[in-house]
Amino acid sequence: MRALLLRRLLTAIPTLLGVVILSFVLMRLAPGGPFDGERALDEDTRAALDAAYGLDLPLGEQIILYIGRILSGDFGPSLVYQDFTVSELIAQGLPNSLTIGGLALLLACTLGIGGGVWAAVRAGRWQDEAIMGTATLLTALPVFVTGPLFVLMFALGLGWLPVSGWEAGSPSHLILPVVALALPFAGAIAKLTRAGLARALNEDHVRTARARGLAERQVIARHALRPALVPVASYLGPAAAGLLTGAVIVETVFALPGLGRYFVQGALNRDYPLVLGVVTLYAGLIILFNLVADILYGWLDPRMRAE
Amino acid sequence: MTRSRLPLLIVAIIAIAALIVPPLLPWTHSAIDWDAVRAPLFAPGHLFGTDTVGRDLLARTLVGTRVTLAVALAAALVALVIGTVWGAIAGWYGGKVDEAMMRLVDGLYALPFMFVVILLMVVFGRSIILVFIGIGAVEWLTMARVVRGQVIALKERPFVIAAEAAGAPSSRILTGHILPNVAGVALAYLLLTVPQVVMVESFLSFLGLGVQEPLTSLGILVKEGADDMDLQPHALLIPGGVLVLIIICLTIAGERLRDRLSR
Repeated sequence: MRALLLRRLLTAIPTLLGVVILSFVLMRLAPGGPFDGERALDEDTRAALDAAYGLDLPLGEQIILYIGRILSGDFGPSLVYQDFTVSELIAQGLPNSLTIGGLALLLACTLGIGGGVWAAVRAGRWQDEAIMGTATLLTALPVFVTGPLFVLMFALGLGWLPVSGWEAGSPSHLILPVVALALPFAGAIAKLTRAGLARALNEDHVRTARARGLAERQVIARHALRPALVPVASYLGPAAAGLLTGAVIVETVFALPGLGRYFVQGALNRDYPLVLGVVTLYAGLIILFNLVADILYGWLDPRMRAE
Repeated sequence: MTRSRLPLLIVAIIAIAALIVPPLLPWTHSAIDWDAVRAPLFAPGHLFGTDTVGRDLLARTLVGTRVTLAVALAAALVALVIGTVWGAIAGWYGGKVDEAMMRLVDGLYALPFMFVVILLMVVFGRSIILVFIGIGAVEWLTMARVVRGQVIALKERPFVIAAEAAGAPSSRILTGHILPNVAGVALAYLLLTVPQVVMVESFLSFLGLGVQEPLTSLGILVKEGADDMDLQPHALLIPGGVLVLIIICLTIAGERLRDRLSR
């Protein structure tokens, strides 16, 4: 198990390095630069600016310098949000994004696993059909449709919750974004749990548990559920990626001060350091989530520890 | 039988309407009716009303649907071609080739791919062709995995071994014997890729990074509707509803086909 994790960790490094180099080269291939305004700058100013930001060096040298700076936690200055470094923007936005994403993941797991178990227990009956139908519907609802729809219904229509804003993360401002973000993932997790549990209920160790005369409730909770959740654990990596991208939408719709919104602004304004910094950070986070999933496998299904 | 075809039928009706109705309408998707700005539903001459600058929402929804579906289909085909070729080669040759090719796919899976697509949009400018090449180039990963698995399974089947024994070259066996047998599953995943791409395209357009005005797409319409929803909720509900309907129908159709073939 430890060897596996070590190997995964070692393959994560070239992946991350690849992301950095690829995105760096792509960004520099882009036509137009951060100093292309409505008025052309004169030669000297332009050269001075390029020199100040290191844009006049050869590409290879720029990459090496950039990787060295990243390792010391310095993503450089933001070109659009002047007076801010990218690290400062990340420090400001990331905690908010992680709060939203983390709460959404928690809600999605609770709803998804709960619904999936219920459907599997009632397999073939109307509860199963209803839950699985709802799950399919939820996975098909894009956040950018549900988000505005929720605002329309619960904020503008019923007036129960605020339309948008953050207010230092007050619970009433968090409910709509978190629910909108969580629902598609709850649907996907419910499907995976339902399928995993249906398979696990046919396994030998579950038959043994039943033969010993355990109550069905105990059979499921103590013996079947854990191996059934392996597919859910393997979904964590893609789910983390999806939550981070979904957070971009939710932050835009609900005007939340998260990293996703900075990223979109950076992308619209060709803010190289900001976009690069966020992509690198997100790639790192997703790799981290895949590692967590690997650790969870071993805990969920002891048979996997041997490999 | 009729029930199982319903989802595809709904998508077909939407697609046909999006193709043939717009030229028959009195208004184009970008024409401004100065006398009817923010017209309500069922206003005279504007069945779905008009938007904040007086553009006919029926024409806009239909043209937006057309663009969204066209982008999705093109991108899904790009994914199909790249994924099938990549997966077939990896699965057929096996060994080191397979390992190297699939290691790359695994590596790319770990990427925050939406951000890579955004990066591509930023780099190459926001043109509609690049939107679908960018999306298709990212969406091929699942297709490659599926096709590879199928090819590996087919490789051991007697008819392939017979073809090999008869001295057929690899290229003939792949194109003549293996790919036709992969087609069904590939079609199922094509059906599942289209709604994925629809979501990615709408996501990008919603953020202002995808399709650009004067062209429109369902993502742009949802965005515009969301900005004006306190006054005109239907401007959000109609394009949003069409979008969700397309995604649900194609997902159900794709899952059914996949489940039937994997049995």
